[in-house]
Amino acid sequence: MRQALRDPHTWLVMLAGGLLGVCGVWLAVLGNPQNSGICVSCFLENSAGALGLHDNPRMQYLRPELIGFVLGSSLAALGFREFSSKGGSAPLPRLLSGVFLIVGCSVFIGCPIKLFLRLAAGDWTALPGLFGLVVGVWLGLKGLAVGVHLGNAKKEPGGSGYWTPLLFVLLLGFLLLRPGFVLFSERGSAAEAAPVMIALGIGLLLGALAQRTRFCITGGLRDLFVMGLRAQLFWGFLIFIVIALAGSLLSGSFTPGFYGQPGAHLDMLWSFLGMLLVGSISVLIGGCPFRQLVKAGEGDADAGLVVIGMLLGAGLVQSWQLAGTAAGVPLYGKVAVLAGLAFFLLNLLLFRERTVA
Amino acid sequence: MQFLRILLVGTLLLSLLACQQTGERPVMKIGYMNCNSEEETMKRFQPLTKYLSDQLNVDFQAIPVDTQDFPERFAAGEFEFTHTNSLVYVIMREEQQIELLATEMRGNYGSHTAGTIVSKKGSGIKTLEDIKGKRMIFGPQLAPSGYLAQYDLMLRSGIDPELDIAYYAIPTGSFKHEKVAYAVYFDQFDVAALPALDLELMTRDGKITAEDFNILGQSPIFPYCTFGARKDVDPELLKKFRQVLVDLSEAETVDYQGESLKVLASAWIDGFEALSDSDYDLLREMAKRANMPPYQEF
Amino acid sequence: MLKDRIDILLGVLLLICAAAAVALLTGQGSQASQSNMAVDKALERDIAYQAKVSFLERLYAPVSELQQAEKLETALLKLDELSRHYPDEAHGELLRGEILLQMQAVPKAIEHLARAVRMSGDYVDQNSPLSRRSMINQLVDVQLPKLKAAATQQTTGRLQATLKDLYYLQGRLAGGCE
Repeated sequence: MRQALRDPHTWLVMLAGGLLGVCGVWLAVLGNPQNSGICVSCFLENSAGALGLHDNPRMQYLRPELIGFVLGSSLAALGFREFSSKGGSAPLPRLLSGVFLIVGCSVFIGCPIKLFLRLAAGDWTALPGLFGLVVGVWLGLKGLAVGVHLGNAKKEPGGSGYWTPLLFVLLLGFLLLRPGFVLFSERGSAAEAAPVMIALGIGLLLGALAQRTRFCITGGLRDLFVMGLRAQLFWGFLIFIVIALAGSLLSGSFTPGFYGQPGAHLDMLWSFLGMLLVGSISVLIGGCPFRQLVKAGEGDADAGLVVIGMLLGAGLVQSWQLAGTAAGVPLYGKVAVLAGLAFFLLNLLLFRERTVA
Repeated sequence: MQFLRILLVGTLLLSLLACQQTGERPVMKIGYMNCNSEEETMKRFQPLTKYLSDQLNVDFQAIPVDTQDFPERFAAGEFEFTHTNSLVYVIMREEQQIELLATEMRGNYGSHTAGTIVSKKGSGIKTLEDIKGKRMIFGPQLAPSGYLAQYDLMLRSGIDPELDIAYYAIPTGSFKHEKVAYAVYFDQFDVAALPALDLELMTRDGKITAEDFNILGQSPIFPYCTFGARKDVDPELLKKFRQVLVDLSEAETVDYQGESLKVLASAWIDGFEALSDSDYDLLREMAKRANMPPYQEF
Repeated sequence: MLKDRIDILLGVLLLICAAAAVALLTGQGSQASQSNMAVDKALERDIAYQAKVSFLERLYAPVSELQQAEKLETALLKLDELSRHYPDEAHGELLRGEILLQMQAVPKAIEHLARAVRMSGDYVDQNSPLSRRSMINQLVDVQLPKLKAAATQQTTGRLQATLKDLYYLQGRLAGGCE
């Protein structure tokens, strides 16, 4: 532990975690939906709606933070000469993993970052999600331990890694120029938003910091399991929670309880299973939804496919009404989570490297 | 000979087993107040009775009972459980100390209901004051939302039903409440005392429209039809009985005469609520003001 | 990057494509068609929503008039009549809840209001012309403490269901992303 704290990189990780906590609370104060200052899955659902991938008129907005995460990461990677095009490891399973990541998040109502923002705001209905995430990460690690491996990404001579950042440059253009085919909600949660430039700036800053530090929620948990308190990511993760809690208390948004929480439901089992799905898949593909965006920004085409899958999933969960709401989790949302768990288990079977005695 | 002996012993054993089978469950009776006819009452409540039997491991038998005979037949010990309107419940609570189990939910007000006084649209009768000197038709006398509530409403509005209207009548036979509505609709009477629920159901069924009648007044809401039980029935059974009713959901089914029927839908009920006896105090006050049983004074 | 003639040729073609796209986007004719498309899409959505709002207002106008005239029983009957043609319609549920609340039939009112909000979030949305946010807010503020207190005295399925509906409304008022 002391060794970890002596390393300047640990402090950078802690800075990233702290800023994520501050911005998570601050963006909600500035206008983002309550407890959703930062939520990758919610932002993706909003953005998918803006691009016409679903027709829920209350969930259509091209979230600047999301664009900022990817482009911030790209700029940092290019600036520090870390941008490198790589990919080619199990592309289709990664694409589908992206879809199921969003299924799990939408059933729980939020990504792992939002899970902790919800807990920091006193939303105890997120507790089963926390347990689910921890169990999911543990299961994913067990999978890796028994030889499950999606394969190594190879450096690609072509510039395949540029395509995801370029896609997000295009989205930035859409956000700023607002062409007619991009939809922006005038009511509902997507109409609640922090000022564009501030949100974009925060996204760029957090994207850049996350690229430098490899900050990841499930990564923090994974490293805690593997390395204990020596894990640098865990310290960043801890600071994120502490700062988010302090922010909630200071901003007056801390309202502890199970009932009347914003964007939450009481289907505890499905909150647990939804986050279990997210945790397990995240470990298998090497990072939570936020980390996938950052990796895609630094030229990882495999992560880029996960991002495309997440965008597709975000459209599907709204179009097929799989997402959880305050009224609970719809039947087909539950079925989708079970399909996701089956997908995870099938991948364990298919990608396990067996040693023949 | 040997064969005959085996047959005899076998038959004896079988009949003993059969006796034991029927004797396994206690038999109890539920008296159901007739709304329109015995046939309708039995059709409505037999699936529910079968469901209660299955859930509580008691052989319940449904007995249709006319409203005016109810307190007397209950006092005579003809049935242990009762399903009556709320006024008959209040009467039997006063006279026989019956236990309150659960209140039926139906229509806009759930476990509550109300009585309305209506006139035909275009009749010129627009307020309660206008009904003085007019011909009025009520529902049956022991109907809380077809008679008592309106009688009380009139008294509280300064209209004495015995003195201030030309005359009033009560229909006979079945479907009394609908007869009351049609009596005004077809100009046989000027004013009618109708349960709010019947107005609601007739409108939903398309028999009348909201524009057909002027609603001159409506009573406060009070508890609707009620399940009760004799005070000496096992308290544990009463508790379970109440719980089964309160837990009944729309989706619950029962196998009855070879069919799988939705219990609540068969009985035309939306559900049950466990009210407390004090919820019936409003009705008691009405009965006292209207000099009606169980507080009638001569 | 541009190492031979083929590279140069491809680069030039790329530049031509980019220039053509810019010309298309900035040219006058295309500007008109682009703005038409933009207006069409936004307009279509606005028209559809406004049409829905005005249809609901027109459909339920007799109910609202009766409600304003405090003829609440007749207003309920009118709703029953309309529900024959439009059963389980969100705005009908909302009006039924409002009327029952005016009649002090609180548990049933809460049931219908929660059902309406489940079907359409517009009723708790500040920006919607159909918004009833302040009424629902007031209902939650007044009834929640009462029902919580009642639940400590006795626990019935009905009371729990009403409390659950109130918590749902409270959650929707609190916001969140859904």
